[in-house]
Amino acid sequence: MTQQEILALIARHAGEVIPRLEQHAFQSTDSLRALGANSIDRSEIVMMTLEVLELDIPLAETIKAENIGELAALLAGKLALARA
Amino acid sequence: MRTVGIEAMNVFAGTARVDVEKLAVHRNLDMTRFANLLMREKTVALPYEDPITFGVNAAKPLIDALTPEEKDRIEVVITCTESAFDFGKSMSTYFHNLLGLNRNCRLFELKNACYSGIAGLQTAINFVLSGVSPGAKVLLIATDISRFMVEEGGEGLTEDWSFFEPSSGAGAVAALISEQPHVFRVDVGASGYYGYEVMDTCRPAPDKEAGDADLSLLSYLDCCEKAFLEYQKRVEGADLHATFGYLAMHTPFGGMVKGAHRNIMRKVAKARPNEIEADFERRVQPSLHYGQRVGNIMGASTLMAIASAIDHGDFTIAQRIGCFSYGSGCCSEFFSGVAGEEGQARLRALRIKDQLDRRHELTMAEYDELLVTNNTVKFGTRNVVMDGDFIAPARTAQGSPTLFLKEIKEFHREYEWVS
Repeated sequence: MTQQEILALIARHAGEVIPRLEQHAFQSTDSLRALGANSIDRSEIVMMTLEVLELDIPLAETIKAENIGELAALLAGKLALARA
Repeated sequence: MRTVGIEAMNVFAGTARVDVEKLAVHRNLDMTRFANLLMREKTVALPYEDPITFGVNAAKPLIDALTPEEKDRIEVVITCTESAFDFGKSMSTYFHNLLGLNRNCRLFELKNACYSGIAGLQTAINFVLSGVSPGAKVLLIATDISRFMVEEGGEGLTEDWSFFEPSSGAGAVAALISEQPHVFRVDVGASGYYGYEVMDTCRPAPDKEAGDADLSLLSYLDCCEKAFLEYQKRVEGADLHATFGYLAMHTPFGGMVKGAHRNIMRKVAKARPNEIEADFERRVQPSLHYGQRVGNIMGASTLMAIASAIDHGDFTIAQRIGCFSYGSGCCSEFFSGVAGEEGQARLRALRIKDQLDRRHELTMAEYDELLVTNNTVKFGTRNVVMDGDFIAPARTAQGSPTLFLKEIKEFHREYEWVS
């Protein structure tokens, strides 16, 4: 899965966890926190994404991502490592 | 294999509380987000309350119920806390004195953030199981308070930290650990532990709490899964769905437990969302009632969740309780034990709910005044005489003798019973 596809996946899950974001036009610079997702919402969005990617990494490792673009890049990197 | 576990336990969560919804309105917090905390009330430590008063008030009924011979068999007092007021002298020495225990007794204190209570429980269990002093009992007192004074300007601070105020509580759980586990028989060896170094939340300076609430949540979730998987490895046939009648977890706030339950049920038990919600109500909610009314009492939190589960669950048929403890920093453990009708009856006789009901409800003005007044008993206070007239109704709110801090004389704390 490409970084772009992962970004779309994160956006889809954000819409599922926070229904009012379903119609939001997500940009890679969007911060989930700024969009009103609390820490539990955010963890859930990450978990759902990891599940689809079949990626088993500690959730704590995703803390560094400041926005969904960085999160997608981080997960794409982890995915490449896991598949290598 | 010897049987071991909790012979008796009690919760004491102070003499004053605030309604956290009123607090959230008072602080202009986002109410939708506030609702996710699943919090109702929290205990607020008054200036003349400290980890000792909470601990003694929790332990006293348990000690009073013992015969002199039984009382003399208390050979270890373990204090589990992150709220100690001295780096050297253990709070167990105060408990030992105030409860009038036998001097042939080990006294020490144990710290590992919110994991301390379970670290203490496991230490006590291992002492009993070792068989070196057959019939001996351990008095375990997990006691913590949070004075709400947040370290400002730290890089790791997140906006979610503002939710720390409505969820930080104060209180203690006292438990007698022995070969007669009337209340909770621990499954010996059924433990999965998991720890690693992480800088999530901490108390880096006296009277200061700091950290990254986000990282702490993620670390808690990671540990919950890893500790359970390790438990599963060690306990043949263990199944998250089928093995446990109830789940009792460290409760920083109810919403976090709900998130952790959802995560582990989806990931480990492969459960569907509607199934998870029903499971939460049935197996987890009973453990949350006290936490929702007291707030996070750190080292004592998991023990209070176990007490809440036993008080509120259906134990007509004995049930296995799956327990999870997480302490920042971090260390975690998933373990289990069994409670039955007798244990529930013994615990209910202590009327924990009544104790919570009787706490004096603080007005927002009283509460705000308290945040300032708290400064009078800072860490390292050498001499002070407490003002018994401050929020006086709280001092007699319990309707029974209650221990309070009277004064500090050359660093030594002196207490008084008020009724």
